[in-house]
Amino acid sequence: MTSSDRELLEKSARGDRGAFGEFVARHEATLWRFARALAHDEAEAEDVLQQTFVAAWRAAGELERDDGRAWLLAIARRESARLARRRGARHERERSLEELGEHAGFGDARATPEELGVRLEEEGLLEQALARLAPHEREILVLRELEGLSGAAAAELLGLSLSAEKARLHRARLALTAELRTLTHGATP
Amino acid sequence: MKHEREVAGMRCGEVLARLSDYLDGSLAGEERVQVEAHVAACDHCARFGGVFAATVAGLRRRLSRPAALPAEHRARLARRLEGETR
Repeated sequence: MTSSDRELLEKSARGDRGAFGEFVARHEATLWRFARALAHDEAEAEDVLQQTFVAAWRAAGELERDDGRAWLLAIARRESARLARRRGARHERERSLEELGEHAGFGDARATPEELGVRLEEEGLLEQALARLAPHEREILVLRELEGLSGAAAAELLGLSLSAEKARLHRARLALTAELRTLTHGATP
Repeated sequence: MKHEREVAGMRCGEVLARLSDYLDGSLAGEERVQVEAHVAACDHCARFGGVFAATVAGLRRRLSRPAALPAEHRARLARRLEGETR
């Protein structure tokens, strides 16, 4: 029978490294995707991954709800923010929705869904566009579109109201549309 | 905003603000009908709505591909954890 996250972490808290190894194996792919979304580069993503699991090992007895994934994602956010502060990352000015819409190609007759559909099959185009987003934009896209978190679960993890979470997701999708347009048409804001 | 106009009681900017809610099926009945009526009569919003939806669909397809932790990263993580005491 498969052990729950709580059972594995209770054993880990008593020093059972095998149980913690099972917990790591269960969540490592999710953590890796999330760390890559948050981090400045692959080396920083590996740092986030390692620091997150080290922190989880040290705090294994502190899991409150039986949801190891949400607990790890919250730790990873803190570790990533700490590394970003150390790197001296700065927040960019937030664009208005209208600015984002214009940048994303509203009113641009060159951009059509059919053409975009073909271009999106090109290897690496989406990855390039994602890499150009701000970390908080990649973060919400990974949580909602990949990990499948509900709006409420993502809002709780990010410390946002539900309406603020929805607004962030919408802006991130628009920003991605804008970056794809820049990459395919060379448009500038 | 360029090309801003009112169609079916809704301006293009208001449609732009509701695209994600529309796509996610979380728009209430009357607003949903208004958005659909606007898009049916507004070329700019129809084209941009299609591009936006194609972007989100493409992202979901791409992100759903498996992304395993590389073996060398797993090995380094295991070594790091072995050295940890509580």
